[in-house]
Amino acid sequence: MPEHVRITRNRREFITDAFCGFGSVALASMLQAQMPAATVNPLAPKAPHMPAKAKAKSVIFLFMAGGPSHVETFDPKPLLNKLHGQKRPASFGEAKYQFVKKDATLLGTKRTFRKYGESGLEVSDLFPHMSECVDDLAVIRSCHGDMVVHSAAQYQLMTGRILPGFPSMGSWAIYGLGTESESLPAYVVMPDPDGALEAGQPMYSNGFLPAVYQPTMFRAGERPVLNLDLPKGVSPAEREKTVRLIRGLNEANLEPDDTEFEARIQAYDLAFKMQTEAPAVLDISSEPEETRELYGVGAEPTDDYGRRCLLARRLVENGVRFVCVVSGGGPGNLQWDAHDDIEENHLRMAVQTDKPVAGLLKDLKRRGLLDSTLVLWGGEFGRSPECEGGKGRDHHNLGFSMWMAGGGIKGGQAIGATDEIGLRAVESPYHFRDIHTTLLHQLGLNQDALSYMHQGRRERLTEIQGEVISALV
Amino acid sequence: MLAPRSILPGLLAASFLLASGEVAPLETYKPQERNYWAFKPRSKPLVPAFTNPADRAWTENPVDAFVLERLHKEGLRPAPEADRPTLIRRLYFDLTGLPPSTAEVDAFVNDAAPDAWPRLVERLLGSPRYGEKWGRHWLDLVRFAESDGFEYDNHRSDAWRYRDYVIRSFNEDKPYDRFVTEQLAGDEIAPGDEEMRVASGLQRLGPLRLNAGNQEVASSRSEVLIEMTNVVGAAFLGVTVGCARCHDHKFDPIRHSDYYRLQAYFAATHADNVPVASASEQASWTAKAADAKAEVETIRRAMKGLEGDARKQMAKKLRAAQEKMPPPLPALFSVRDDYSRATPIHILARGDYRDQGAAVGMRPLGVLLPEGTPERPIGTEYPRAELARWITDPENPLTARVMANRVWLHHFGRGIVDTPNDFGRMGGRPSHPELLDYLANWLVDGGWRLKPLHRLILLSNAYRQASTSPLVAAAMEKDPNNKLVWRYSRRRLEAEEIRDAALAVSGRLNTKLGGPSVIVPVDQELVNLLYKPSQWAVTPAAEEHDRRSVYLIAKRNLRLPFMEVFDAPDLQLSCARRESSTHAPQALELLNGGFTNQMADALAERLHKEAGDDAAAQVDLAYRLAASRPPNAREKELALEFLAAQPLREFALAVLNLNAFLYVN
Repeated sequence: MPEHVRITRNRREFITDAFCGFGSVALASMLQAQMPAATVNPLAPKAPHMPAKAKAKSVIFLFMAGGPSHVETFDPKPLLNKLHGQKRPASFGEAKYQFVKKDATLLGTKRTFRKYGESGLEVSDLFPHMSECVDDLAVIRSCHGDMVVHSAAQYQLMTGRILPGFPSMGSWAIYGLGTESESLPAYVVMPDPDGALEAGQPMYSNGFLPAVYQPTMFRAGERPVLNLDLPKGVSPAEREKTVRLIRGLNEANLEPDDTEFEARIQAYDLAFKMQTEAPAVLDISSEPEETRELYGVGAEPTDDYGRRCLLARRLVENGVRFVCVVSGGGPGNLQWDAHDDIEENHLRMAVQTDKPVAGLLKDLKRRGLLDSTLVLWGGEFGRSPECEGGKGRDHHNLGFSMWMAGGGIKGGQAIGATDEIGLRAVESPYHFRDIHTTLLHQLGLNQDALSYMHQGRRERLTEIQGEVISALV
Repeated sequence: MLAPRSILPGLLAASFLLASGEVAPLETYKPQERNYWAFKPRSKPLVPAFTNPADRAWTENPVDAFVLERLHKEGLRPAPEADRPTLIRRLYFDLTGLPPSTAEVDAFVNDAAPDAWPRLVERLLGSPRYGEKWGRHWLDLVRFAESDGFEYDNHRSDAWRYRDYVIRSFNEDKPYDRFVTEQLAGDEIAPGDEEMRVASGLQRLGPLRLNAGNQEVASSRSEVLIEMTNVVGAAFLGVTVGCARCHDHKFDPIRHSDYYRLQAYFAATHADNVPVASASEQASWTAKAADAKAEVETIRRAMKGLEGDARKQMAKKLRAAQEKMPPPLPALFSVRDDYSRATPIHILARGDYRDQGAAVGMRPLGVLLPEGTPERPIGTEYPRAELARWITDPENPLTARVMANRVWLHHFGRGIVDTPNDFGRMGGRPSHPELLDYLANWLVDGGWRLKPLHRLILLSNAYRQASTSPLVAAAMEKDPNNKLVWRYSRRRLEAEEIRDAALAVSGRLNTKLGGPSVIVPVDQELVNLLYKPSQWAVTPAAEEHDRRSVYLIAKRNLRLPFMEVFDAPDLQLSCARRESSTHAPQALELLNGGFTNQMADALAERLHKEAGDDAAAQVDLAYRLAASRPPNAREKELALEFLAAQPLREFALAVLNLNAFLYVN
C-alpha cells in the first residue's frame, strides 16, 4: 500500500513523510502542530501548513461556465463604446481568438455601470442583487489564462494544467485538509442540469491522487448522491442487519497486525453514517420560507441555481470542504458562451444566478459563515472586445474578471486592470495560478508543501510558481 | 517481415552517422552522472550461497537466495509458507485476475504430487486469462483509452484492436524486445501487416485536443509530439524524460536538448487510419458520407444571416443532418511516417512551441551514449525502428531492468524499485539491486520472454510466503512496508478484479475473448454529464454486459463509478502503479450500487441452486466460491444466525462485501 494513503502511521513514519513530503517552511509548522492521533479515516481533518494564516475553512466556487464577459459585468470600458464598430487600434496589440477573424470590429456594451456600497465598486445592471454585496467582493479585473478554447481553459482553471489528468483544486484541498464532516462527501460538484461542459468530468477529478480524493457529483433532483439510497425493496432495518453481519464476519477473520482491515471496517461505519445523516442535510425543504425566498427558490428563473446555492451553504455549514456550483451546461448558449448575442445570453444567465449568488453571500454573512467560507466567482475566460457575427462575443483569455469574497479576503475593492478596451490585463496581471495560490493560502495551505509524488515529479496545483495576491489578504 | 536493417548495428556505440546541417551543440555528461546505478551496465551478480542446511533448502531458487541474504542482514526471517487455498487464490488473481473455481481449489489442495505447484503455475501461464490480466497492466502504462478526451471525446471505434493485440502478445509470450519494437515501429517494419499497424497505434493512444474555429496548427502538433515522447520515457525507459521538456532535468542527467532529440524520432509520425473494409463497402460509405456532407453544407449556407427562431430551427435541422453521417468504417488505428511533413524539431524554451531555440536531430539519451555521439538528421528513414533498436538493445541498461521490475511489482505489490516509471534520482533505490539485475539478465537471456521470468518468481519460496508471520512485531519495527519481502503483502483486488470476481462468483461471467468494446448501462445522470450523451450507446446484447472489465469501453470522459471508486487509472496519463485507497464511497458502492446488488441476486440464486435449501451448505459454498476456503467456525455461526431470519440475497450481498472476498492474502 503506498505511503500516501496508509491509514495508520507510526511516529517515525510520520516524521519521515513530513521530511520527504514538504518544504522546510511547512515542516516547521507541522512540527509545531499537534501530532495527529492515529486515525483510520483518510479524510479526517488535518492541520493546515500555516495555521496562523488559515482564514477559510471551506470554499464555494461559483463556476460561470462558458466565460462571462468582463466588459458586461465588472469591468466598465467607456472607450469600447466610443470605438464601437471600428477595428481595434493597433496600439492595443494582437490577440488570437478561437473564432473571430482579424477583420472583426469592436463591440460596445449596452450595459450601464454604477457605483455601489461604501466602496463605490462598479457593477453593471446585470447584477442588481449582487451589487448589494459589493463591499464584500474583491474583484480581480486582471485575470488571464493561457488557452482560448473551452476544454483546455477549463482544465487550467480547475487543475492548473491545460491537459486532463491532473487533480482539481477541490481534490487538492481535501488532500491537504481532509474534511470536517463524517456524514457528507468532502468535495461536492453540482453540475448544471442543462448538461455537460466541454472539459467533462476529468476537470473535477482527483487525477493521480487516490480515489478517496475524488469529487462527488451531485445529481439533479431530491436525491443527489449516488448510492446513498438503499436498493428498492430493502428496508433500513434489514440493511442494518446486513451491515452488522459484514462487520461480524470481517472481525471473525481479522489478523492481529492488519491495519487496513480496520480501515475498511471504519469505512463501512462512515458509509452507514452518511446514509443515515446526509439526507437531512441535503433536504432544503426544512429551510424557512424567508431563506428560500432570499435565494430565489420557488420562483423562476432562479429556482434551480437558488436551490443549489442554498444546498452549498448547508454543505459548508456542515463541514464540507469544497463545493463547486456550476452555472451553464450543454450547448454553448446555455452556458455563458455568448457567441451569437451577448445581450440575450447574458441577460438570461445573469437573471438565473444574480439573486441566488447574492442570497448566498447575504445568508453566509448573517450566519457568521462568510468569514470562514471563501467564495470564488468566475469562468474559464472572459469575452472578446470584438464582436462575433454582429452581436456576440468570442472567447477571450488575455484579460477578464473574477471575484472573491469571504474567507479573509478584503472586500469592497477592484484590483488590477485591463487596458481601455478590456483586451489585455495590463496592471498587476494575475494568472489562474495566482488565484489558486491565493485560494490555498486562505485555507492555510502552501502551494509547495501541498504536493504529491507522481512519475518522478513532485506535483502540485500550480505548474509554475503562483503568487499570493497580497492586496486581497 | 524483416526490419529494414540500416547500416547501423544499433548498439550503444558511437555508430551514428554524422548529421548534415546545423544542429544544437552536443551536451557532455560528467562521470558521476554516468555512474548513477540505473545508467550503468547490468552486473552479473553471484547468487548468494548459504551453509546452514535449512537456509540452503529454502534457497534452491536464486530469487530466494537474494531475498534471504537481505533478510539475514537485517536480522529478519521469512514467513512460513501459506496454506494451499491461500496459494491457489493468490496465484489465480495474480496470473488471471479471477478466482479459482471450487473444483480447482479442491484439486490443488488434494494434489499430493511434489510438482503440484509448478504444474499449477504452468497451467495458469497457459490460460488465455493470463493475457487479459497482464495485458491490463500494460494498458495502464500506455494510457490506453478509446476516446479522444477533451470536449468532443470522440470514440475511436477501432482502438479495441490494440487492446486485443496486447492481450494476444502476452498470451503468445511474445519476446518483449519484439513487443516494444512492434509498438514503436510496426508500421515502419511491415507496413502491409495489419497486426504491426495496430501495434504502432501506441503512438496515438493519448488524449487529443480538437477544436472548432481558428486552428493553431503548430500548437496542436506540439501537443501531439509531447504526448508521444513522454509515453516512451515512462513506459519503456522508466525515466521521467517529460521533466526535461521545459529545462534540463532538475535531478537526472537528462538535458533539455535530450528531450527534443528524443522527440525528433517522432517528427515524421502522423496519424493514419488504414481501411480494412472491402472496396464496395468503402464506395458505399463514401457516397453516403458525401450526401450527408452536402446536406450539412446546404443548411450551413442557409443559416447565414438568419436570426432568432428561424436560426434555431435551422440549427436543429443542422444537428439532424450531422447525425446522418454514417458511422466510420472499420480501420486500423495506426500511424505512418510522412517525411515530407516532418516537423522541424527545436529546443523550446520553457517548452513553449512559440519559443524556438536551436534545431536538433534524432538521438537517444546522451548520458547512455559515448560522448560526442552525433545526432541523425530528421528525415532519416525508419526513425522509430532505430529508436526501438536502441531501446531493445540487450546492453541498454534501463529497458530490461524496468520491465523485470514491473513483473516483480505485479507479483509482490511493490517493485524492487518502488517507483516503476522513475528509475531516476527522485525515484526509489532498489531494495535488492543484485536481484534486479539477476531478473533483468534472466529476461534478456531467456530471449526477452516474460513467462520464464514469471516462472522463476512464482516458483520461489519468497512468493509462497504467508501474509502473516510469527515474527511480525519485530519485522514491522524494521521494515514496516515489507520492502525486504519478509512476508507476502496482502493486497486489495484491483477495480477490474473485483468486478470480474463478482461476476465469476455469482456465475454470470461471460468469458468471451476480444472484439469491439462493450458499453454497459450506467446511471442516466452520468450520461447527461457527457457533452454528447448519445455517445454512450449501450451495447444491445445483455450477455455482453457480463464480460470481463478489460473489454468494457475505456472512455476518457465517462469512467464507470465502480472502477473510479476503486482506484482505476484516469486514462489520461501513464499509470505504472495503481493506488489502493480505502474509503466510505467504496462501501456505498458495494452495499447500494446497482452492480453488486444484481450480483447478489445472481449469487443467491446460484447458492440456492447448487446447495439447496440447507443454510449450512449455502454458507459453505458461498465461502468456497468467494474466498476459496470453507468458513471458519465463527463465520459459520454468524452466517447461520443471520440466515435464520434474513433473506439469502442479503447474505450474498454481505459475501461480496467481505474482506475475505476483496483481498488476496
